[in-house]
Amino acid sequence: MDPLTLPATLESLEPLVQYVLSAAAAAGLDRKASYRLRLAVDEIATNIITHGYADAHIDGDVVVNASVDVEQLVITLEDWAPAFDPRVQEDPDHIGKPSDERPIGGLGVFLALKSVDRIDYEYRDHKNRNILTMNRPRAEA
Amino acid sequence: MAFTCSLLVEDRIAKITLTGELDAASAGGFRDKIAEAALLDPRALVLMMENLDYMASAGLRTLIFAKQKMGAGVDIYVIGAQESITETLEMTGFQNSVISLPTYETATIEHA
Repeated sequence: MDPLTLPATLESLEPLVQYVLSAAAAAGLDRKASYRLRLAVDEIATNIITHGYADAHIDGDVVVNASVDVEQLVITLEDWAPAFDPRVQEDPDHIGKPSDERPIGGLGVFLALKSVDRIDYEYRDHKNRNILTMNRPRAEA
Repeated sequence: MAFTCSLLVEDRIAKITLTGELDAASAGGFRDKIAEAALLDPRALVLMMENLDYMASAGLRTLIFAKQKMGAGVDIYVIGAQESITETLEMTGFQNSVISLPTYETATIEHA
C-alpha cells in the first residue's frame, strides 16, 4: 500500500483507521487482531494529534504506511512533533483504583502497547517513527 | 460507522445508548450526555453498548468523568458490550468499576 499523509487533526482519524483496516484485511488478520491493531494505531495517532502537536502549538502531518511480509503486518506512523517514545511511559499506576480516584489521562499509550505484538520507536531527523507490528496468522498446513 | 449517543432518564435511571465508534473525535458527545444526565441526579447510569462497535481510551476517560461527576454512590452498568470492548475494560481495570451485564436486567438495575 502507498503511504497516506494526513493533517494531524482528529478528523484524520477516520481515513487513517480505514487505511489500517484495509491493510489488516489484506494481511489476513482476524477480526480480533484487526480491532487490536486499529486500537493501537488510533491511540498512538490520537496522542500525536492531541499532545505531540497540540501541546507544542504547532501544526503538522501524520504519515501512515503499511507493509506486509509472510509473517507480519507492519504499520508505521511518522510525525514531526517533539520527540516522544511511547515505550518509556510508565504503566498507569491507577489500574486497580476505583474510577473516581483515577486521573483522566495515561491510558491511551498503555492500551497501544498492550494491543499489538510489538512497538518499536525511532527519532531521527526531527521525526518520530512509531512502528507497530502484528504477526499474521499462520497458513493452515 | 458514525457515533451516536442518546439519553433517556426514567425513574432517576439515566440510560445512554451508544452506537457506532467511540474515539477521541466522537467522545465529546458522550461526555456532554454524561454531564446532562448528571444534572438530573440519577441513582444509576446505564450504558447500552449492544451496537457500539469500537471504544478507544477516550471512552474510558469519559467513564472516569462519569464516576467523578455522579459520585461513587451511583452504579454504572455496561450492557451488551462486545468482546473486544470488554477486553479493553479488563485490560485497564475498568471491569471493577462498572457492572457488566449481557442484557438490561430490570430487577438488577431498577431495584438495586
